[in-house]
Parts: sequence; C-alpha cells; structure tokens
Amino acid sequence: MFLSRLLKPTVTASAHCDLPCGVYDPEQARIEAESCYKIIEKYKASTDELFKTRAIVIKEERAELAKHHIDVLWSDYFKPEHVQKYPEITELCWKAAKQCSKVKGSLDLGDAKTLLDMIDKIADVWTKAGGPQATRVQNGVAARA
Amino acid sequence: MEPALWAGDWIVVAEVGRGPRVGEIVLLRDPREPERLMLKRVAAVADGACTVLGDRPEESTDSRAFGPVPLGNVLGRALFRYAPIGRIGWLW
Repeated sequence: MFLSRLLKPTVTASAHCDLPCGVYDPEQARIEAESCYKIIEKYKASTDELFKTRAIVIKEERAELAKHHIDVLWSDYFKPEHVQKYPEITELCWKAAKQCSKVKGSLDLGDAKTLLDMIDKIADVWTKAGGPQATRVQNGVAARA
Repeated sequence: MEPALWAGDWIVVAEVGRGPRVGEIVLLRDPREPERLMLKRVAAVADGACTVLGDRPEESTDSRAFGPVPLGNVLGRALFRYAPIGRIGWLW
C-alpha cells in the first residue's frame, strides 16, 4: 500500500485523444451567432430590466458557444491540405473567433451582423473544401439543400 | 497511443539531453493548450520542430491537427513502464 503510494506517478499525460465524431458544420456556429443577433434586437426593444439582464447573460453564453464551434472547425476539421488550397481560412477563423469575443461584450447589432458574415465566409470555404459531403450524414445534407 | 501505451500505465519519462529522434515516444506540451501534457510518437524532426503522431491515426489528434510542435515543447522521452506489473518493460 505504502509502496504503491510512493510509486504512484505525480504527473498525468494524455496518450489518447478525443475520438472525433467527424461531423463539422459552420451552421452550428451560425445558429449561436444568430441567437446573439436576435437577443440584441430583443434587448433593445425591451424596457424590462430583468429581461435585459437575462438577455446579456444568455448572449454571452451564445457568443462563447459560437467561438467554441469555430475553434473546433478550425482545429479539428480543416487539415493542412485545406489550408494549402484555401490559405484565407486561417485568418477567417481567427478573426471570427475574435469577433465572437467582441459580440460577447457588445450590444451593437452591427457587431453581431459582422460575425454572421464572417461565419458565412468560413462556410463558403467549408463547402468548397467538400465539407457537406465529407462531414454530414447524407440525409442531413439533403434536408438542408 | 495503444497498443504501446494504455490508459493508466505508470511510466518513467526523462530528459535525455538530446533532441527527440524518429520513432521515440515523447512527453510534450500541447501547442494549443500548454498546460496539457501529451504522449505521442515522433514521426519527423526538422527546423526546430517535430511532427508527432499517435499510434492510432484514425483516433488521434496529433500534428495532422495542430502542426509540428516546437522542440521547446518536448519535455522528455518515455523510457520505461513500471506498472501494471504484467506490462513492465522498456518503451522502445
């Protein structure tokens, strides 16, 4: 018992990684960004202080989720061959992630709209890079088309 | 990193006083999240960085996802597994 405690490693390293499900779609980030847009609209239309406070809290959560989805797309879906073919994707994802942070702290509809446009640009590259066929389950693609 | 390493293995990692070599298992800091430590196998070393791959490419997140890792992120080489008892042995 004592020996086992003595020998127990003090540092843990990960030798296995996440098992990727392989489903990636910028739409996931877009829906969260749309939520931010609509929440800002509702915030501006409201005079209820409690509602407005909740709106801010929820918008911050949604903006963080949008950022997460963009990060996942960037680090897990886009591969070196995509970057070689579409070098703009690095900056698009980077700027969009930064824009999410901006939307998190902003009540400007323009900021939320900019984020939507940025995600649409990422979606263009994702589509050109074969994303819909490579990552979505067939029925889902058909339903979206 | 299966079958070379299994979750829960107790291993000894040491600085070996030289750069990593192809085929070795190294302990390194995840370039995306430096406080996270990983064990990966060295696939290539060039220009101050090494390309690392997991032993199970279909399930591994490695240099294919995060690119070559600067040699400064490599903390040491995995040398020896001392537990579980049935799998004690050198890691090369």
